Amino acid sequence: MIGITFLSFALMHIGPGDPAEKYLAGGDGNKGMVSEEAIAAQREKWGLDKPFLEQYFTWLGNAFRGDLGTSYSTGRPVLSELMSKIGPTVILSVASMFVILLISIPLGILSALYKDGVIDNFCRVFSFFGISLPSFLVSLLLLYVFGVQLNWFSIMGEGGIKGLILPVAVLAFQSAAKLTRQVRAAVLEELNKPYVRGAMARGIKKSRILFHHVLRNAMMPILTLSGIYFGVLLGGACVVESIFSWQGLGQLAVSAVKSSDYLLLQGIVLWIAVLYLVVNFAIDASYALLDPRVRKGASGK
Amino acid sequence: MSYLIPRKTKEKRHTQAGLYVTITLLAMLFLTALLAPILAPNDPYQTNITNQLAGPSSQYPLGTDQLGRCILSRILYGAETSLFSSVIIVAAVFCIGTALGILSGYFGGVLDQIVSRITTIFQAFPRMILAIAVAGVLGIGIRNTILALCAVYWTEYARLSRSLVMQLKSRTFLKAARVCGESHLGIMVRHILPNIFPSMIVTACLDMGVMIMEISALSFLGMGVETPMAEWGEMMSAGRAYLQTNPWLIIIPGIAIFISVMIFNLFGEKLRDRLDLR
Repeated sequence: MIGITFLSFALMHIGPGDPAEKYLAGGDGNKGMVSEEAIAAQREKWGLDKPFLEQYFTWLGNAFRGDLGTSYSTGRPVLSELMSKIGPTVILSVASMFVILLISIPLGILSALYKDGVIDNFCRVFSFFGISLPSFLVSLLLLYVFGVQLNWFSIMGEGGIKGLILPVAVLAFQSAAKLTRQVRAAVLEELNKPYVRGAMARGIKKSRILFHHVLRNAMMPILTLSGIYFGVLLGGACVVESIFSWQGLGQLAVSAVKSSDYLLLQGIVLWIAVLYLVVNFAIDASYALLDPRVRKGASGK
Repeated sequence: MSYLIPRKTKEKRHTQAGLYVTITLLAMLFLTALLAPILAPNDPYQTNITNQLAGPSSQYPLGTDQLGRCILSRILYGAETSLFSSVIIVAAVFCIGTALGILSGYFGGVLDQIVSRITTIFQAFPRMILAIAVAGVLGIGIRNTILALCAVYWTEYARLSRSLVMQLKSRTFLKAARVCGESHLGIMVRHILPNIFPSMIVTACLDMGVMIMEISALSFLGMGVETPMAEWGEMMSAGRAYLQTNPWLIIIPGIAIFISVMIFNLFGEKLRDRLDLR
């Protein structure tokens, strides 16, 4: 955790761009217009003239008190800037995750059960496309087909439920392609274990073996992976958000980078770090729900 | 078990043929990129305001873009940019990551702790955000894009090679080599590296496709190459404004990206089957 904040802070300071200079030059980079004294004064105001470590600890200390500083580019506090963008990103992530699970889990299980069957081959092609097509291409194609040709959506991006459909479709397509294969692999691995054969030999119904034994065990790795995907989604999808004009964290990150707004970027990175911890904690907690061995505190393996 | 044997040989021949096909495709892709200056019918940077957004003609086989530049020539030069940058990135992260991973896996101790800690920290970030942050801090330009992606991706190789070394570490042949008087360096280079190489090279192949996409994505967001440079993501980004009237401006570079990524992914998968991994 400390490492993450330190890395994010250090990262912002190795860069050649000087935020004070950019701020005063109005983004055009016409350096001649701004006097050296003005730059120095601005640097002093933002504490940029202090040694690196001192800046880091000041920032960290303030961050603990909920003060992430003031955005260089907009002049608003970073925290409120973040808060206004987290909502849309959370909505987008939850919706996408829902669709991803809805697609991946049934498809993955079916393609594991009927290995090399029609569904399996279909999924293979589907995930191959999902992995090989970059998200900006899928987004633009969807925009072209549904926005320009069919005129169902505005290409400038829309708010509300309607604006959610296309970005969710892109995000879900990308992640579901990967997750389906991983669900398939997890279920296949369980199916090949000796206990399945044993249960079959004892004449237990196939459906019971599948739902009570195989899926329960296969759920663990699937859950971990889903958690990771959800974490990544919550971190903001830069490309998709910027194409569909979705006012989320990804777009904020892009604009923060473009205007060298390091404090804002640090705030975003900090949010991601916190998120990472929360998601990991949630995954660990859900293990306890699924696996009695973990719940009883006995050593799992 | 006997019925499995004929089936297996049949499958193997199948993958062999697939491997050769993908190698051919790969060679064609690289040849296209290498020969871009010869194959391109026009100068990719020659603007022509009187001939904007023209349809296909004998001089401009795929038409012209918003500044009257030849799309086909830009695609071909873009192949050069994308492929060679990706090769540089993958080669660099492969060498750095594998070296660090082997060292930390083999020696363990403090070095291992430091390397593992750093890779964990890096992997806590979504890759795209980290790449954007690094690229944004360094500034635009193809050199900085390459640096940014290297900075983000080396950890993957360090982690993978470290875990592979850990699996090998207890094997007797390493102890035997040590008993025979092989130096630590010799063991790492002559015994560990050949054993982990297949897994690493498959990952590298699959990552070539990822790199092509990431470079284009960064350029698409305006944080990759500098604007006039012929690059697929940059072409799509510029063509985005003409989505309604001239969708070809984004579809053609999109197809180029898709085809090259697909070739690398197919090759990686066939190679994995051939090397009998997984």
